[in-house]
Amino acid sequence: MKRLLAFALMTMTVAAACGGGAGTASPSPSAAATSAAPSKTAAPTAAAVKVGLVTDVGGLNDKSFNALANQGRLDAEKDLKVQTSVTESKKQEDYVPNLTNYAQQKYDLVIAVGFLMTNATWKVAKQFPDVKFAIIDGAPANDKGDTENLPNVANLFFKEQEAGYLVGVIAATMAKNKVGKATHNTVCSMGGIPIPPVDRYIAGYQDAVKTVSPTTTILNGYSNDFVDQAKGKEVGLNHISKNCDILFQVAGASGLGYIQAAKDKGVYAIGVDADQAYVAPGTVLTSALKRVNKAVYDTIKAVVNKTFKAGDNSFNATNDGVGYGTLDPAVPADAKAAADKALADIKSGKITPKDAVQVK
Amino acid sequence: MRQPSFDWTQGPAIPVVSVLFALVLGGLFVWISGHDPIQAYAALFRGAFGSPYDVSETLVIAVPLLLAGLSVAVAFRAGLFNIGAQGQLLVGAVAAGWVGALWPDLPGILLLPLTLAAGVLGGAAYGGIAGWLKAARGVNEVITTIMQNYTIVFVMHWLLQNGPMQAPNAFGTPASAPIGAGAILPIVLPDFLVPSSRLHAGIVLALLATLGFWFLLWRTSLGYELRAVGLGMRAAAQAGIDPRKRMVIVMAIAGGFAGLAGMIQVSGLFHRVYDGFSAGFGFDAIAVALLGKNTPVGVLLSALLFAAFSRGGTLMQSDAEISSHLVEIVEALVLFVIAAETVVRAVARRWGRPVKAAS
Repeated sequence: MKRLLAFALMTMTVAAACGGGAGTASPSPSAAATSAAPSKTAAPTAAAVKVGLVTDVGGLNDKSFNALANQGRLDAEKDLKVQTSVTESKKQEDYVPNLTNYAQQKYDLVIAVGFLMTNATWKVAKQFPDVKFAIIDGAPANDKGDTENLPNVANLFFKEQEAGYLVGVIAATMAKNKVGKATHNTVCSMGGIPIPPVDRYIAGYQDAVKTVSPTTTILNGYSNDFVDQAKGKEVGLNHISKNCDILFQVAGASGLGYIQAAKDKGVYAIGVDADQAYVAPGTVLTSALKRVNKAVYDTIKAVVNKTFKAGDNSFNATNDGVGYGTLDPAVPADAKAAADKALADIKSGKITPKDAVQVK
Repeated sequence: MRQPSFDWTQGPAIPVVSVLFALVLGGLFVWISGHDPIQAYAALFRGAFGSPYDVSETLVIAVPLLLAGLSVAVAFRAGLFNIGAQGQLLVGAVAAGWVGALWPDLPGILLLPLTLAAGVLGGAAYGGIAGWLKAARGVNEVITTIMQNYTIVFVMHWLLQNGPMQAPNAFGTPASAPIGAGAILPIVLPDFLVPSSRLHAGIVLALLATLGFWFLLWRTSLGYELRAVGLGMRAAAQAGIDPRKRMVIVMAIAGGFAGLAGMIQVSGLFHRVYDGFSAGFGFDAIAVALLGKNTPVGVLLSALLFAAFSRGGTLMQSDAEISSHLVEIVEALVLFVIAAETVVRAVARRWGRPVKAAS
């Protein structure tokens, strides 16, 4: 009996707590109205274009790839008066339903961020031929794994090797001249997993080092992860123990651990995708930029202007799709000059950075 | 103390109260972050159950959660803490993906059972190792199963990244070759009912497994022995049940459930194995089993709840612009409250006594 009574007491207490919670919560709509769903309340014009963005498992806070794509979405929302929305994928299982969700709601453009969604995009784009899709870093791939271009899918490719080449020139110049903490004439790189967009960065980087400073030792490794910073740090510490003093990360959030290792041990690092100078000032020399935000923005703009182009769309040094980021004061003027010359040479076609990794 | 006529702590009260409490507290977080909790939960609910397609997607997520939840629950019943459902799921997936792609031209009537057996046996063998280590060497299963989770992840890196299982043409991503058509679980909802549904026959297997879980534990002598070991190892040994032998068996059974989950993800959803496959189901499963109090119906319901959280949370983000991580906060709060159950019990007993004294 007493237990029943205790239970009744408990229930009442909880009910009261629930009531209280709801009570305190109810005045919030006034506060929420300003901040919640600005895109929904932004009074879309009659034919406002609706854009949905689906991130890969890296999530919006990867300070890199997905964050950049989201930046492009937000810029477009502001400038182009489009209505936008974003969904984060937590597992690979989520890609198909997340893309389908936007397609079912008749969004005009659904953007899949990342190479991992090639098959998911193919599946969904085939089912919704009236919806336009864009996939960053990939082309739709059918169930056999073969690329199968679709009339409603734009494939947004980047020449990562060009960005890798530019930072490689800076690294090689500094290693060759033993500038600052770079005293061992050894440079390294770390990828997430060996997929083509990652390897293109590394290939360009290695190509530049071999060209600019053939005597420099090159090491490469993979963290086998795009999320776990601990794994990135482990590879970083290992590289540093082998005399690396310039570490180029191509591993999303996992690469932040690689940079952390460089910071802890007092050597240099190079960021990727986004401008990562802020991650560790004094450690991050520069970043290999892949302007995913520009690709997203341009694609949304193309849909608004009805100039959407299915199939391959290339973003490269010539159209400012790739480049290098903020330079740390540690980078000497001759290294910057060399990078700028390389940039001009790539634009003029005098240099074509390699896209295959030489040092595995 | 006398035997109570009705012990509410054994019923659904605590899980239900935990979930409500977590939802209220989670709502508070939404409110602090400057959003409307009612709107958030409405979006969450719509995301999980708003349309037939949403329901079918929720069920797609519930299937592996349910099976991995049964894996954790069966071990709990025998007094073991299986943190390794995730690893066992992956072993099941790898085994099923390997067998399914080994003879792609076999007819379904042969290939599907073979794939199924590979997944279940793979998971069972992996779980059995942890059970054996505990029985023979006294190594705590919590430690070994956690370690096993990492081992299989790295084995998968090796297998799938330029290793023996990587398909030459798998989107350039580390993935295995597709399984044969015969190994694929059919979609159970036709297109005219729910367009583009992904709900596959794995749900039938999962429900059968739930039934099997109940039958095993409460209708067989092995199940009786397992529960006896779980309630008190020494007492069970006194009664002539060798607890060490049962440890191996129950960990193998637990691994079998999780392995089935992995097999179903391969045969029902992906039709191949990816590196980074089905992340996290095995860990959510611990929460599912705890919330479900290791009963078949409880695990079924809490798998549905967590699946609804997962599916709804994603939609909450796109519809209401509230971070889908909120759902993770609510899930954590549920766990927190459940973990505090002993405290709640103690408090409830305290309350009980003065009431009796007064009456």
